[in-house]
Amino acid sequence: MANPPQLQDSSSSPPENRRSFITVFAAIITGAGATLTPLLAGLVAFFTPLLRKSKSPQVRVALLSQVPGDGIPRYFPVVADREDAWNRYPQQRVGAVYLLRSGEAADPIAYTAKCPHAGCQIGYQSGDNLFKCPCHTSSFNLDGSRSRGDEEVSPRDMDRLPVELRNVELDGGESVTEVWVEYIDFQTGHKEQHRTA
Amino acid sequence: MITPLRSVIDWLDDRAGVRDLVNEALYENVPGGARWRYVWGSTLVMAFVTQAITGIFLWMVYSPSTQTAWESVFFVEHSLTGGWLLRGLHHYMAQLMIVLLALHFIQIIWDGAYRAPRELNFLTGMILMLVVLGLSFTGYLLPWDQKGYWATNVGTELASQAPLAGAALKKLAVGGSDYGHQTLTRFFALHAGVLPALLVGFLGLHVLLMRRHGLHAKDPERGPDCTFWPDQVLKDSVAALGVLAVVLALTVWKGAELGSPADPANPYNAARPEWYFLFLFQFLKWFPGELEIWGAFIIPGVVVTVMFLMPWIGRSRAGHIFNVMLLILLFGGSAYLTAQALYDDNFSAMNERTEENQARYDASQAFLNAKQEAERDAERVVELALSPTRIPPTGALTLVYGDPFLQGPKLYKQHCAGCHNYVDPADPDPNLAHLVNPAPTAPNLYGLGTREWIGGWLDPERIASKHYFGYQGSPFTSDGRNSEMFDFVHESLGEEVDDEQRQTIKEAFQKVAAALSAEAGLSSQHAQDLADADLIAEGRKLIEGGLADVLDSGASCTDCHTFGEMQDIGSPVLDGYMSRQWLLDFLSYPADERFYGEMNDRMPAFAPHDDPRMNQLEQKSLELIVDWLRGDWYRPEHPAAASDSE
Ligand code: HEC
Ligand code: HEC
Repeated sequence: MANPPQLQDSSSSPPENRRSFITVFAAIITGAGATLTPLLAGLVAFFTPLLRKSKSPQVRVALLSQVPGDGIPRYFPVVADREDAWNRYPQQRVGAVYLLRSGEAADPIAYTAKCPHAGCQIGYQSGDNLFKCPCHTSSFNLDGSRSRGDEEVSPRDMDRLPVELRNVELDGGESVTEVWVEYIDFQTGHKEQHRTA
Repeated sequence: MITPLRSVIDWLDDRAGVRDLVNEALYENVPGGARWRYVWGSTLVMAFVTQAITGIFLWMVYSPSTQTAWESVFFVEHSLTGGWLLRGLHHYMAQLMIVLLALHFIQIIWDGAYRAPRELNFLTGMILMLVVLGLSFTGYLLPWDQKGYWATNVGTELASQAPLAGAALKKLAVGGSDYGHQTLTRFFALHAGVLPALLVGFLGLHVLLMRRHGLHAKDPERGPDCTFWPDQVLKDSVAALGVLAVVLALTVWKGAELGSPADPANPYNAARPEWYFLFLFQFLKWFPGELEIWGAFIIPGVVVTVMFLMPWIGRSRAGHIFNVMLLILLFGGSAYLTAQALYDDNFSAMNERTEENQARYDASQAFLNAKQEAERDAERVVELALSPTRIPPTGALTLVYGDPFLQGPKLYKQHCAGCHNYVDPADPDPNLAHLVNPAPTAPNLYGLGTREWIGGWLDPERIASKHYFGYQGSPFTSDGRNSEMFDFVHESLGEEVDDEQRQTIKEAFQKVAAALSAEAGLSSQHAQDLADADLIAEGRKLIEGGLADVLDSGASCTDCHTFGEMQDIGSPVLDGYMSRQWLLDFLSYPADERFYGEMNDRMPAFAPHDDPRMNQLEQKSLELIVDWLRGDWYRPEHPAAASDSE
């Protein structure tokens, strides 16, 4: 415990004052060094997640033949390797996408099923003309736009994912077309898309 | 006895001044006498002590990782002696603590007990309230069940939208971009370490300050003063016992629920925060799009800041009135919002669906369905976890993924329900209402392979119904392109058949159905199949050609179908009909020669390729669907024992 009255008293004697200043300074430095080092070590470890970047996986979600050109969204789980701290889970469901195709000649469009509002999974019942989010009742047209525009709690339309078609040769010589998407995880709640990563 | 005790006390008093301490603690003056209205603060302390005690014991069992969190809570709930009681106390006391906090807060504001010199009491109290809310929020996640997982997910997702550091904060709390081990370890460290330490610290300060300024007496002139011990302590203890009674009653009556294990791949559509955060949840619905930060941060932030400033605002009479008005507005508003949230969710149970309310109705119906489904799932997982195989090292989610009873309906809904119907025509099960297809374009698969179901193919009326070949757009009825089976059944039992012969044919068909059904080898019919061996043998003979003698037309099944001794006749092959292997092969490629060949009507091939990457469903999913359709899943021998938590 410091003793403030004595410090004041010593103002009459400069050498004493200097010494006590050095003492105070040294005490603070050593004390801080002793307590802050473990704290710092803890904080550095604690902040690790901020230093890690995650990459969006390229995922094969379907065969092109599984997405008829009738303009009706089809639901496909997204299966990719998932890492969690010390575990690696091969081929896990990490999310889901809706694929739809308007016309047999058209390329498929992919929407992530993650709601741009708060991240719930948007649902689709076959026969409906809307995607519906079960959490805060956002709804989207089949083109991904918000059905009630800016009235909707969701700040933006459904997120589209980049699609790539790949041809694969089978052993027998025939070939099939696979639908691949880049499964990007977007931050929720913003008008613009930001990747989480 | 007295003297040694006295000397110990003397010894302690010399060294630690215990007499003064005890005197100060116990003989505090209570102006105007002990009163019931002073008990709320003490009940809160008692509630916290309960949480600390039960919490430490739970800590001795709890294991925070994604493969062990749910599992260890399950172990507390179902294996530890009295574990359900321990967890129930912790669960419900946490909720009651929020109620007690609210009461305490209302009383302080109402009585103006926050005014000088008690500002610091009030500030420490506010901090304590935030700490308790933090404990509730972090605690909700720890059991790692669907409900806590998804509700907390939405919570942290919202937090990540906070201006400036939101995204970074979320990452720190969650321990990465996604929920996982690190989320549990971090939440647990907060829940059992950081927050309780803060709570103890601030509670100490709070009580110390309270003692320093004395109790805030409502009307000190009311009666003669008394001391804290024993008059007020008695009242406090009675109140504490009352609180405990409520918690015990809730524990015994409802028990602390444990949903099915958190599944990152299957969102829980009925995710809601705990009831005391519901008002916030509802409040957010008012703020569409980018206005959300107003609902989530700015307005709550302003309100909390104003609350912190209440002691200074309340210095004047007008200020105090403002505080009381704000209090009424806040609690009234929260109550209203909570009621509205509950009403919205239960809307469909209380209203008819109309043109105007359909969106609201459907949303509520979806919520209620999801909730009911989740409750059934939870019951089932517990049943599996209590089975002799117990929980594998990979965690209870492995049980969930491997269970036909849980996965079958989900896979069916996703891949089959668009065409097929699944309903007991005689007695629809409301639990399976979500699998009913009112306008099917394929046969009903309910009870597939059973005698009852097979009997339908051989009954002129039933085969013409939507449950068999009478579905929309069927090519198998008399005017369709493949009407052989339909015509065969109708001719066999047509108008011209007289009653006596009709009876004979029906009996023959019953034997046929029994024999064909035995091919399926259903576990539910196992005993019956054994008992009816003779009947089945007769049935086999009939199928293999014997029917020709019974029917006027002289036709028989093996005119068209391959079966038993009559090989290489035609498809669908009836050997092993609806057995596990038959179904697996069939689902893989129904247009195979063995099955429908060219007659196949739209039934998709789910796994026609040898290379699994090319297939729509992998083998595991096919097996789950088939086992579910055939009713092959684990059933506890004593169903009552499995639901002892109820
Ligand atoms: C595109 C519509 C469609 C889908 C999707 C579909 N089926 Fe079928 N399925 C049919 C039709 C039509 C038939 C009758 C075809 C026939 O008799 O040639 C049939 C026949 C069957 C049969 C034979 C028994 C019977 O009742 O005729 C089984 C078993 C069956 N389907 C199971 C499934 C399962 C399991 C799924 C999902 C994994 C599924 N089906 C998906 C249309 C469909
Ligand atoms: C005149 C030829 C013919 C005769 C006789 C006949 N069937 Fe069929 N059966 C068919 C045809 C054709 C189908 C339809 C195949 C399809 O669904 O694509 C069929 C379908 C069935 C089915 C439903 C298959 C499925 O899963 O969709 C069953 C069960 C069946 N027959 C059993 C029998 C039994 C038992 C007998 C004798 C009592 C019998 N059939 C006699 C031609 C015949």
